[in-house]
Amino acid sequence: MIKRDPFKIFLAVQGALFLRELSMRFSSGRMGIFWTFFEPFFQIFIFILIKLFLFASDDSTFDFAVFLALNFTAFNMFKNIVIKSTASFQANKALFVYKQVKPIDTLIARTMVEVFITGIIIVIFIVLGFYFNFDMTIKDLSMVTLGFIWLIVFAFAFGILAAVLHVFSDSVGKLIGFFMTALMFASAIFYTIEILPLELQVWLMYNPVAHFIEMIHGHYFYALTDSLVSYNYMVIWTMSMLYISLWLYSKLEKRIVSS
Amino acid sequence: MIELRNVSKFFKTNQEKKYILKDVSLKIPSNKNIGILGRNGTGKSTIMRMLGQIEFPNRGNIISTKSFSWPLALSGGFIGNMTARANVKFVCRLYGKSKQEIQEIIEFVKDFSELDDYFDMPIKTYSSGMRSRLSFGLSLSFDFDYLLIDETLSVGDERFKKKSKEALMKKIETCNVLLVSHDMNTLKEICDSGIVVHNGNISYFDDINDGIAEYMAINRQ
Repeated sequence: MIKRDPFKIFLAVQGALFLRELSMRFSSGRMGIFWTFFEPFFQIFIFILIKLFLFASDDSTFDFAVFLALNFTAFNMFKNIVIKSTASFQANKALFVYKQVKPIDTLIARTMVEVFITGIIIVIFIVLGFYFNFDMTIKDLSMVTLGFIWLIVFAFAFGILAAVLHVFSDSVGKLIGFFMTALMFASAIFYTIEILPLELQVWLMYNPVAHFIEMIHGHYFYALTDSLVSYNYMVIWTMSMLYISLWLYSKLEKRIVSS
Repeated sequence: MIELRNVSKFFKTNQEKKYILKDVSLKIPSNKNIGILGRNGTGKSTIMRMLGQIEFPNRGNIISTKSFSWPLALSGGFIGNMTARANVKFVCRLYGKSKQEIQEIIEFVKDFSELDDYFDMPIKTYSSGMRSRLSFGLSLSFDFDYLLIDETLSVGDERFKKKSKEALMKKIETCNVLLVSHDMNTLKEICDSGIVVHNGNISYFDDINDGIAEYMAINRQ
């Protein structure tokens, strides 16, 4: 057999896994595609209703629907990368008989699929936004993009950790589920940290995801700022997550392959 | 050449470590078709999986510059809710095949495995015989230095067994096999040399007949 260049092998594996994950995502029942793209609209609809009923008038200086769309897109991407990663080793066990498929390859492929789906959702939002004349002006596109890319890296690191732990205990999957629901309420998705009482702000800013979301919408809207975001805090979280999860993974890779 | 350097492999049971290999060093020469013999539960399949680099020794190294196929066993390697066609495509992509090569391999596998309409049905609907026909056909389409075969030759009806044996004989003109089997006739027919696994040690026999004799002697104990 002709020896292949390691990087070419990696690309071939990624290509194969990506197409496979994508086709599985969209063939999971007839409603597979529908829910993937309908979920964010449903979330936005619910929270707009809540805001209208609870606070009666919309007095914000930015478009609340655009605000929700932006935050939910970012948070759902984070949530889906982590959740899909968690079950990835179990789901792809059969593939480890091919020695070029390393467990982490399946995590990279799943992350890429989620990023791809997020891309499609963003395009749908932009098209609808133009069609219905929403105000979608962006203050700083490059910082918003950086926020998204950074969040992908953070979610990937988080996903590795969850996936490795899940090999040893099935309860990790359940815990991640609860954890994500809690995070949705604690991550500045349908409010800005600024409007909250000071005691609450202090607590919520321990949550790294809140920093990411604040960073993204702080740079998107002219009416908002990133004054509460600590970029140092985000760097520390990302670096230590990457370090811990990759270290654990490298220690346990062989056990995961042959388990 | 395949070289084992101080290889130890064990599994933990509740009471003790159960050794499959205990500090084994061994050189297996190239260009031989090798049969792996041993009683049930001695670790033949584990040794094969270690050679295929999907299972790893607890200590020591297994060194070889040769390429090994995935272990062809009765189960595994396929995704249940994908069709045979999608699975074949997927494996081809893993090995970096071009579009045209993929098309050729699909035609070959479809023809060889005799799955007909089932070729476009999810694999979870297959019987184990159908599965291994597919798996065997697919492995014949790649050029490895060694094919790892774990007792899959004994599936299917007489006609298919004959067909797959003929295909394998043709294939081993250009590559070698590592074969786990309990069927002495198959081993004699296909293999040149043998490895006998027993009590945490393995011994290499240049002539398969010597290997079989040793295995018989162990069985009489």
